Amino acid sequence: MKNIVIGRYIPGNSFLYRMDPRTKIIALIVLMVAVFMIPREAFEMMFVGLGLILILLLIGKISIKRVYLGLRPLMFLLLFTFVFQILFNKTGPELQAWTLNYSFLNIAVIVAIVVFWMYTKRFIKAKFIYLILMIIAIITVLNQLTLGPIFATRQLVVHEDALMIGFFIMMRLIIIVTLSTVLTLSTKPTDLNLGLEAVMKPLKYLRINTEEMAMIISISLRYIPTLLDEANKIMLAQASRGVDFSEGKLKDKVMQIISLLVPMFIISFKRSDELANAMEARCFVPGATRTRLHQLFWSRLDTISLVTSIIILIGSIAVRVVT
Amino acid sequence: MAIKFKKVDFKYQGNDNKAYLALSNITLNIKAEGEFITLIGETGSGKTTLVQHMNALLTPLSGDVEIFGVKINRENVKKKRVKLNPIRQQVGLVFQFPEYQLFEETILKDIIFGPKNFGVDEKTAIERAKNVIKVVGLDESYLSRSPFNLSGGEKKRVSIAGILAMEPDILILDEPTSGLDPLGRNALLDVFYNIHTKLNKTIIIITHDMNTVYEYAKRVLVMRDSYLVYDGDPIELFTKKNIENWNLDVPDLLHLINQIETDLNLKLPKKPRNETELFTQLKAVLK
Ligand SMILES: Nc1ncnc2c1ncn2[C@@H]1O[C@H](COP(=O)(O)OP(=O)(O)OP(=O)(O)O)[C@@H](O)[C@H]1O
Ligand SMILES: [Mg+2]
Repeated sequence: MKNIVIGRYIPGNSFLYRMDPRTKIIALIVLMVAVFMIPREAFEMMFVGLGLILILLLIGKISIKRVYLGLRPLMFLLLFTFVFQILFNKTGPELQAWTLNYSFLNIAVIVAIVVFWMYTKRFIKAKFIYLILMIIAIITVLNQLTLGPIFATRQLVVHEDALMIGFFIMMRLIIIVTLSTVLTLSTKPTDLNLGLEAVMKPLKYLRINTEEMAMIISISLRYIPTLLDEANKIMLAQASRGVDFSEGKLKDKVMQIISLLVPMFIISFKRSDELANAMEARCFVPGATRTRLHQLFWSRLDTISLVTSIIILIGSIAVRVVT
Repeated sequence: MAIKFKKVDFKYQGNDNKAYLALSNITLNIKAEGEFITLIGETGSGKTTLVQHMNALLTPLSGDVEIFGVKINRENVKKKRVKLNPIRQQVGLVFQFPEYQLFEETILKDIIFGPKNFGVDEKTAIERAKNVIKVVGLDESYLSRSPFNLSGGEKKRVSIAGILAMEPDILILDEPTSGLDPLGRNALLDVFYNIHTKLNKTIIIITHDMNTVYEYAKRVLVMRDSYLVYDGDPIELFTKKNIENWNLDVPDLLHLINQIETDLNLKLPKKPRNETELFTQLKAVLK
């Protein structure tokens, strides 16, 4: 629970922390566009992107472990896109083809593997790698074993494009999520709010209430860790009444989750009500013009960062034009 | 000894990755029967953290806690060598904030939730619920109400009922009387006192009310800044001079007694623990 990093601010001291939030938000957008500009054909450029991100993390003194923890929930999505590509993308030259033999005994072996995986995965630290190993094991079994009568055979053909595009999409996601994590890790919620508001100002002309939107976003970000702490407290309170969160059958599990979710909902509704009251008690009027205690300052650092991001964008546009 | 703390340290991991010291070097013994303990200390001194160790909700960072013969320490819990659930039936803990404990549709369901988790059958659990709801000073009609549209004090009572229904051997209450009206508070304290005297169970109460400590407690624990700074007799504590250093003050009755003793220039044979005792002693002395 403690490891969820989305939206969490970690105090630190580096140029990323000294930058103006507006710069960071604009730079994030510029860099994201740059990532999307890179065409599939030039997928090697993704390595350059990854290299640049690593440099950013190093000189920005952001712990790579933190960023990895932020990426972890995405692992299954990444794996899914990859598998999807390999199964359905049939363009480009063939790289490798396996014959998959289906027989009842083969299927029985596979079921055994899956059951074994389900029971042993709790003892394995690297769950993700373990899952991949299982998938590889299944394919190997289908390919190598011919036990009993075979009732069907299929070809599993991996095409170059599938591998390339799968990898490409994966890299793109990783880079984008890392960039956003860097933004929220290094920016206080209040600063983020100010920055978002400033950046969204042009939308005012479309009659969109940008101030409120910025407020909503920053309050939601601010409350993620608080809600996690609350969840922790509720789990303790329920554990003291005999709920064992680590064990139990499926039916018990459902009950446990309900015993956690209901108080969570109640508490968050109450919290938001109280927050609204507290804001009104301090004379917050939605839509009123406000002056700021914290003013944003544009410094040389911001100009340099922004120019660098734009250069990167131009670079990726150039790559696109050339290929 | 039912609960044994041996050199227990505990730190909280904050959001910013800093560690907050909450318990330092706590050594403590509590009997399974016959104790009435109050735990006091300034806000943030670690009282809640201490009692959460007593039913294995938290695991010591170093040192160990033994609860009814089960040894709780980092290693045992990590390797799942100990079963924690039975402990939680033996040591019932009422939380400081009742919101965290209530979640069922009706109060009845909420009260029987604990007992059912510990294997009590539904019928017995409902019997118990009907009984405990009266014990905490609400009437039976509450059982069919939703726990969420209650006042703060009513919620508190319901959450206490939920723990009483588990019939624990040791009952721990984290500020059970905060947010209650004076009469309700006294009635509830009498409930705990009755459980203590009739069933000879050990009761531990966290409180900020010195009068409660003086009137009820046989033993008092004082926490300060994550340390256990006093463990002993309440009268001795309050007649010591420097309790202001621990952000405590002298109970009203003791003030009165001191005033009487100095103004009337007499000495009472034994410090009276409540008004009745005071008056009988006064009558005897003034005769
Ligand atoms: N979940 C938590 N994360 C980080 N620090 C915590 C957490 N819970 C408590 N603390 C810190 O641990 C210390 C002890 O807290 P604890 O809740 O035990 O105090 P307490 O004596 O019960 O106070 P109170 O009288 O206000 O209830 C405090 O300094 C508090 O800030
Ligand atoms: Mg407390």
